[in-house]
Amino acid sequence: MTESRHPDYRKIYFVLLALLVISVAGPFVGIRWITLITAFGIAVVKARLVVQNFMHLKWEKRIVKWMLASSLALMALFFTAVAPDVMKHSGRNWVNDAALAATQRGIAAPGAEGGREGAAAEPAAGAVVVAAAGFDARAAFSTICASCHGAAGGGDGPGASGLSPKPAKFSDPAFWAGKTDAELLKAIREGGAAVGRSATMPAWGSLYDEAQARALLAFVKTLARP
Amino acid sequence: MRASRPIATTRSATGIPTGRLAVWWVLASEVVIFGGLLASYLMHRLGHPEWANAAAVTNTWIGAFNTLVLLSSSFTAVLAHQAAEHGDGKKAARFLLFTMIGAATFIGVKSFEWYHEISEGYTITSNGFWSFYYTAAGLHALHVIAGAVIMGFVARDAARGRELQRVELIGIYWHFVDAVWIFLFPLLYIAK
Repeated sequence: MTESRHPDYRKIYFVLLALLVISVAGPFVGIRWITLITAFGIAVVKARLVVQNFMHLKWEKRIVKWMLASSLALMALFFTAVAPDVMKHSGRNWVNDAALAATQRGIAAPGAEGGREGAAAEPAAGAVVVAAAGFDARAAFSTICASCHGAAGGGDGPGASGLSPKPAKFSDPAFWAGKTDAELLKAIREGGAAVGRSATMPAWGSLYDEAQARALLAFVKTLARP
Repeated sequence: MRASRPIATTRSATGIPTGRLAVWWVLASEVVIFGGLLASYLMHRLGHPEWANAAAVTNTWIGAFNTLVLLSSSFTAVLAHQAAEHGDGKKAARFLLFTMIGAATFIGVKSFEWYHEISEGYTITSNGFWSFYYTAAGLHALHVIAGAVIMGFVARDAARGRELQRVELIGIYWHFVDAVWIFLFPLLYIAK
């Protein structure tokens, strides 16, 4: 009953070691999709080798495979049900301010704080947002602004439908007529109400300093169509 | 130890020795424990591109070394199982001892790694990444410690030729712990 087959364990062990070397070497190629394959593709292969041969699942009765598969299926269900909420920071009628702010702080400070952004960015510590160096205005626009102003600045983001007045259309040349930079920067940092426009436009001054707001404005200007 | 075996080791409705079936049930629940944790980590990581800055701090070489240690300890664990099936309890116990040395090495390296990270100010409350890092690797380390302790009892009996079927059971658990680390390694150390 307990008799089970024994493959050549040494061979499997050496294959596992070779796969480990590949998974460590992968990132040195410097191409993102290769790293993903050598990291996670190989992890699946390694785990499979261990489970099939070392744990002898290959020779185990089918009921055990069903037990484990059920657990994995539960995990897949959990992930697909919860992940959309966790991974998206804003939707039609909601915004996860904390997650958005954490993302912005972290992206604005690449390496400098070495992942300590949580501790460094306590409001008590001054909440100083780092200078525009390394600030990706395009990424900031697509995470923060695009939900209402639209990915291409058409005023047609998913959040726009419930708003009145409608969000500004950056792609429309008429929007830019007679607007000064100072006014636009004020709108970004102090909110729409500060410049006599819609109060639904939030004040982003706690998230973006002067330099970052300028970078953001420069990016927004590229959205204007002639 | 005892003259007669408890009935559970000899009776089986599934055709699988009851002890082994029990281990599989434990592992089915472990899949949910670790799977839930890793799935949560994954979805947060995907929603927070800035965590890459934190992940860049982890030391890939230490992670790779510990992967090597665990793979090797799994190798000796399965050799112990093979020896036990051939009725050689002493040899099985020796191989289990090697596995326990691997476990001790793993924990030693991990302590060294954490000591340095914590003294540099990266703690479980630093940000989301570090919370997951210490929780996932910590839960895994507890499994390593528990497995090594149980393995000590199994090896002691095996050396006296007793309860040799347990060598396979602790081995199956050990390989699972190894497999969990195989996923933790790329998630925490390689994806930057």
